Amino acid sequence: MITVHDIDRLGAEAEQAIRAAGDPKALEEVRRLYLGRKGKLPELFRQVPSLAPVERARVGDQLNQIRSRLEGAIETRAAELSETTSTTALAAEAIDVTLPGRRRLLGREHVLTRTLQEVERIFHGMGFEIVEGPEIETEEFNFERLNIPRDHPARDAQDSFYITDEVLLRTQTTAVDARVMIGRTPPMRILTTGRCYRRDAPDWKRMPVFHQVDGFMVGEHITLANLKGVLVSFARQLFGPETKTKFVPGYFPFTEPSAELYVYFNNQWMELGGSGMFHPRVLEYAGIDPQRYTAFAFGLGIDRQVMVRYGIPDIRMLWDNDLRVLEQF
Amino acid sequence: MKVLVSWLREYVDIPFKVDELEERLSMLGLGVEGIERIGSDDAVFDLEIAANRGDLMSHLGVARELAAATRSTVRLPSGDVARDRQTVSEFVHVEVREPDLCPRFTATMLVDVRVGSSPEWLTRRLEACDVRSINNIVDVTNYVMLEMGQPMHAFDFDRVRGGRLVVRPARSKEVLTTLDGVQRTLDPQTLVVADAEQAAGIAGIIGAAPSEITASTRRVLLEAAVWHPPMIRRTSKRLGVRTESSARFERGVDQASVPSASARAVALMQQVGGGRALDGLIDVQARRVPQKQIALNWSTVPRVLGTDVSLNEGVATLRSLGFQAEASDGTVRVVVPSYRRDVEREEDLVEDIARHHGYERIPEEMPVEVTAQGSWAPSIDAERAVRDVLIRTGLTEVLTVPLTNGAALEMLRLPDKHPYRDAVPIRNPMVEDHVLLRTTLLPGLLHVARSNASHRLTDIQVFEIGRTFHPNRAGAREQRSLGVLMTGATLRGAWNLPPESVRVTYYTLKGVLESLLAELRVPEAEFRSAQASWLHPGRAASLTLGGHAIGTLGELHPDLSRALDLPAITCIAEVDLEALLEHAVLQPRFVPPPRYPSMRRDISFVVDAGVPVAEVEAAIRRAGRPLLESVELFDIYTAAPVPEGRRNLAYALSFRSPDRTLTAEEIVETMGAITRALEKGLGAKIRD
Repeated sequence: MITVHDIDRLGAEAEQAIRAAGDPKALEEVRRLYLGRKGKLPELFRQVPSLAPVERARVGDQLNQIRSRLEGAIETRAAELSETTSTTALAAEAIDVTLPGRRRLLGREHVLTRTLQEVERIFHGMGFEIVEGPEIETEEFNFERLNIPRDHPARDAQDSFYITDEVLLRTQTTAVDARVMIGRTPPMRILTTGRCYRRDAPDWKRMPVFHQVDGFMVGEHITLANLKGVLVSFARQLFGPETKTKFVPGYFPFTEPSAELYVYFNNQWMELGGSGMFHPRVLEYAGIDPQRYTAFAFGLGIDRQVMVRYGIPDIRMLWDNDLRVLEQF
Repeated sequence: MKVLVSWLREYVDIPFKVDELEERLSMLGLGVEGIERIGSDDAVFDLEIAANRGDLMSHLGVARELAAATRSTVRLPSGDVARDRQTVSEFVHVEVREPDLCPRFTATMLVDVRVGSSPEWLTRRLEACDVRSINNIVDVTNYVMLEMGQPMHAFDFDRVRGGRLVVRPARSKEVLTTLDGVQRTLDPQTLVVADAEQAAGIAGIIGAAPSEITASTRRVLLEAAVWHPPMIRRTSKRLGVRTESSARFERGVDQASVPSASARAVALMQQVGGGRALDGLIDVQARRVPQKQIALNWSTVPRVLGTDVSLNEGVATLRSLGFQAEASDGTVRVVVPSYRRDVEREEDLVEDIARHHGYERIPEEMPVEVTAQGSWAPSIDAERAVRDVLIRTGLTEVLTVPLTNGAALEMLRLPDKHPYRDAVPIRNPMVEDHVLLRTTLLPGLLHVARSNASHRLTDIQVFEIGRTFHPNRAGAREQRSLGVLMTGATLRGAWNLPPESVRVTYYTLKGVLESLLAELRVPEAEFRSAQASWLHPGRAASLTLGGHAIGTLGELHPDLSRALDLPAITCIAEVDLEALLEHAVLQPRFVPPPRYPSMRRDISFVVDAGVPVAEVEAAIRRAGRPLLESVELFDIYTAAPVPEGRRNLAYALSFRSPDRTLTAEEIVETMGAITRALEKGLGAKIRD
């Protein structure tokens, strides 16, 4: 006749065997011995029906408890065993984690492109429409509509490469301003970036091709104070929030009043470009009534700025495309 | 332009030390390019004078700006001189044949002059301003030029034939030895001042040797004139002569003050060289310059500047700059002094008021216009999309100079009639290397590869997006182009990997272009075997869209890579970006992922090696419609037992229907169709 005591003893014995099992195979043996179809616990279950009705429920209950306890213990032990097993197996698969990684070569933008895009993003954020224009220009747009008639001394500073009598490589992206204003009605906030050409022999600080940014804003209440607001905000976004700027009177045929913009960078004043209020004649040429509208405009040189910003000593290095240089940006 | 501070003090009190003066001048728009200190309180300033401010090309002009900055007025130099009873017109006759080019011409005379060296105060001032001392008479002309901005010329009257000065175009082939010692052959485009017989100087630019002042000169004929600025500019450029005189005349010299400058010079000449000044001034002036009057509506000032400047301040500024200004009812009636040739309209006055108010006092304000939304032109977006894809494939962007020469093209060994040879020449090139506009990006890329290779950098994978230029009726047409050059390894840390698996081949380059086409969603692009003089004849292709070639790609011809010292396998491509972008779809469109499973079947067969894989794939796709979803080549085998001249191709095919799970029967049927197409169409032998 089975007694409660027998069941407890069996339980304790089985639990000890489970703990003692040293590998999954031994554990399986233990499971078979106690829980298997012909195991010790099922053996006891089979005797239950022969018990007195009073005993039957109590013993059955206890057996069930023991069974689930043993099942739990086997599961726990199995997990412990499998962990220890894989640790040993994986140890054999160790690699030298300090070997060089497989590195794909990463591509990147040219530092000039990157800077132009940085500038574009800043003005885009201030609501500017970013446009582009041709590099081959006519005298009309490159000069005349910008209030630089033939024989104007300002043309000296912009010695141009000519293709025909009237067609040249643009010397300033301001030509795009003259183009896009036509046929539009204010307000306008427009920015363009691109390549310009001037008749120079390459040396450390000049190339016959270079990059500019030009922007303008036309409206009924646009003032020189707005020009300062926009350009100072731009300079702070590009060079940092503490950037010092100054506006100095200058001369450009297409603006009146005119101002040159400087930023204090690396302990020196660096000229960023020219700016001012569009000369009324420039607005008239574009079919915009200067009595009603005013406009500010600015043009910034990019190449020189990149040189100063990154400490590049020779502008030609921007065009050498030496990968050791390009990869630094 | 050089100015001497102690000289400026003669006309205006300067309450600033040198450092402060530098700051003041630059904030007035007189850029300081250099300072040379003399002792403790004097200095020579090198000023940058704007192209429209001829009036600032003198000490007096700069003093006027400082007077306005300090709210005072300038002290004008004296031109008082005792005149003789004899008059100039008894001796001299002036004839101006080109009044448009010479708006005013004056002549006066000094007799019994002693030519000698100048006193020290005079030479010191000239030399401080980089003007060499010649003799007392010539020095005075230069002195007055530096002082008042009026260039002049002194002739030895006894060497001016006929006592005549004639302003006329040079005669064709007229020869003149100018004061710089150059013998020049002139033409009628050049205006000269001549005596009765021949040219005695190039008008407004440079004098000539035969009539120059020498130690034996006794009678001085003094010319003070004004010339048409564009004419001076053109002539000085054409002859390549820039002088202190031309620099002033091309900016414009005050026509009204010619007589006072002349009188000033005579007074100084008498002071340093003695002699008697003849009475009268020969003064030929076709018409007087009208006085300019501007009504400045005071509300224009805040409208332009965005800040208020008091009317009193503005009027005071204008007056101390020499304007007459009277305010009434919010309008300032301004009379412009004759020397301010640049001032024409309200805005010009606003600038003067703003400069003297101080740009630093104008607030920084963000515009409060209608809110605008930033945007990018579609062409800029498209170009950026291309750039981004290429960078994601691992390429580095390069920029090369679009100015080139014929030699760069020779690199490509082009046939005579190749379109790349049809370049736009620059009419006025600056250097030999830059005489043409590029027609292709290839030479630039080869140059980049070559210079990097010379630094032993041989893993080069670069691209350029740039414009190429092509002749058309208007002069030139520009076209956006893409160039790619790849060579060397695409992976760092490739230890233990077979080198060929990481090295660029034709297929790496093709893969880059395929990625680009896929990202731009360009349909129907094809690669076809092609020929180009710079490419390996068996490893070159064209990229075609709708049957039109829009680019070439391939392995550089081995002869070329050897000649250029490039790595043996260098791959290069150029694509017409304009044409490519026409077919690009930049906006992504959502396609739901398939709901039903796909089924994969492999097929392997032997086919003639001459049949291009593109053709095989096309045949499979045609026969596999509509269930065939993708075709992927996974093996090519050419050795035994595959017969010579044939190759074994193995494909993984995947099938799918959008609306149901496919049955085995359906796939068997489609595979049957594909098999038949391969066998019948391409003579393939299917392997089990």
